[in-house]
Amino acid sequence: MSIVIKNLCKSYGDNLILDHLSLEIKEGSIFGLLGPNGAGKTTLISILNTLTKKDRGEVYIDGLSIDLNIDQIKAISSYVPQEYAFYPNLSVYENLEFFALLYGIKRENLKDTIIEVASFCSLERYLNKRALHFSGGVKRRLNIAIGLLNSPKILYLDEPTVGIDPHSRRYILDVIKKINRDLNTTIIYTSHYMDELEYICDNFAILDDKKIIYQADIKTLKDSHNKKSLEEMFLEITKKSLRD
Amino acid sequence: MMFYGILKKEFLLIFRDIHALFVLFLMPTLFITIMSLALQNTFKDTIAIHNIALKTTQNDDTKELLKGLNEGGFARYNFANEDNRDLLYKQGFDAIVLLDDNFRSKIKQNTKDPILKIYSKADLSKQSLYIIQSDLIKSISKSISKEFYIQHQVDASSLESLEDLIEFEYIHKNRYDSKKPTSPEQSLSSWLIFSIFFILIPISNTFINERNFGTLSRIKSTNTPIYYIVLGKLVPYFIINQIQVVAMFLLAIYLLPIFGLEKLHLNDSIHLLAISSFAISFGAISFGLLIANISKTTEEATTMGGTLNIIFAALSGIMVPKFIMPESMQQIGSFSPMSWGLDSFLEILVYGGSFEDIYLKLTYLFLFGIICLFLATTILKRRL
Repeated sequence: MSIVIKNLCKSYGDNLILDHLSLEIKEGSIFGLLGPNGAGKTTLISILNTLTKKDRGEVYIDGLSIDLNIDQIKAISSYVPQEYAFYPNLSVYENLEFFALLYGIKRENLKDTIIEVASFCSLERYLNKRALHFSGGVKRRLNIAIGLLNSPKILYLDEPTVGIDPHSRRYILDVIKKINRDLNTTIIYTSHYMDELEYICDNFAILDDKKIIYQADIKTLKDSHNKKSLEEMFLEITKKSLRD
Repeated sequence: MMFYGILKKEFLLIFRDIHALFVLFLMPTLFITIMSLALQNTFKDTIAIHNIALKTTQNDDTKELLKGLNEGGFARYNFANEDNRDLLYKQGFDAIVLLDDNFRSKIKQNTKDPILKIYSKADLSKQSLYIIQSDLIKSISKSISKEFYIQHQVDASSLESLEDLIEFEYIHKNRYDSKKPTSPEQSLSSWLIFSIFFILIPISNTFINERNFGTLSRIKSTNTPIYYIVLGKLVPYFIINQIQVVAMFLLAIYLLPIFGLEKLHLNDSIHLLAISSFAISFGAISFGLLIANISKTTEEATTMGGTLNIIFAALSGIMVPKFIMPESMQQIGSFSPMSWGLDSFLEILVYGGSFEDIYLKLTYLFLFGIICLFLATTILKRRL
């Protein structure tokens, strides 16, 4: 298993966010994490990514305990936030160079690594252009490319296709599939677009009411719900009520 | 390599931010030039010239008196044929002096009747009024004394030029040359410190954008230590501040003289100015980091930081010189970090002070910086 979570609990003050959450994610899979707004997806990803400390429970990333091996876990994982987390006034090359240096990539490998991730995300022709005026799709690809710089074993993608047109979305989804297939990277993917999850995920879990309320592979789920769309099934499982 | 990456990124961002460059370089250039030009008469031998109308009988005696008054150099006296008060606002006179036609005999008779009456514009300062009074008393006394000397056949040539026998010299604390304070020294010190503190604008812009767009979280996820993040702000902005200081000093040394202003002389004080600018910069950057960390948006940081900077500047004597403030205001102003910086610069440039004269102010600035930096780092750790 790539990720094993047992009885994970997290609160902010009196506000309980995750309550004895348990989950297992297979190595080399694309795992969809679904849940209504405020369900705790971002908190869960932040804990897995060592950005937030858990209160209780056990978490193992690639066999490493999150309590004891933070540095090793950071070295093998990468986080692509929902926001454009780069510098608009820097060029694609300068952005990639900056984050590559933070990841500790050696000077002699720097240029090759940058060219490699840029070509993986089809950014070669933008290398010397500042990111400020890029379209949403190119910005999303740069956001993902930064996440590939340390050749992560586990890649966390938080709604990576928000705000872009269908062509760019499909392109990015194909890039994600390629990352998973060619680099054997385990991908944890959150999105509100059910069709995307259907398109790229092998397995998924629904996080609601502070814990995992459903976990299955896409095919099993569809078979057990008379081949309804994933969105219909999601609403059925999470009781269709409005979440703020 | 990691730190090199952080420094390179920060420098690229600063030099590509046109607004930051405007605030850091163009604003102080303009302020220093304009304020030096505006204040040049305050520090020159020539002082503001006032136009004074003298209404009295015109004869050889009063013409001699008028000549004496005009030799003072402070005001231009002209005879007026009327004592109409319109002279003040319609004909451009700053004051009207009514001198009794019989002033000489009245003085001799020691009468208590006033011999002089002065009308002035409402905005004529008390200092100017005292100087006009002094000019008049001196000239009238001289005229009467002259008559006395002639009557008693006294050689009064040396007494008449008594003023020429008075020498004046500015004394500096640790220098033995005599040098007058100049307007560039005052303006440079004030507006350079003001602009150094405005480093908070680019700091908070980049920092808040990094935080709000998840870039800081991403940086943290790469195993970058938090002190690298803080040092990655301190070091480049410190270097930018030093470039700012050098550029403004070069402006005062080489450019301002082209506009007819006095050249700035650094003498042997470069090391003291460098130490002072290091302390001011450290205080300003730490303050900027604190504002950036407690603000949620760039607008909030710009408003809060900009307002605090202007208050600091007003209290410290940057906008209004401290010596014209009442004692209580001066005491309040002495708590402003800009005041510690300004006092240090003025101590070095104007009074020729040594390290002993500035170390206390620099210690305050350093402590201020340490406290701001500690608070900023603590808030950053909690937020990340």
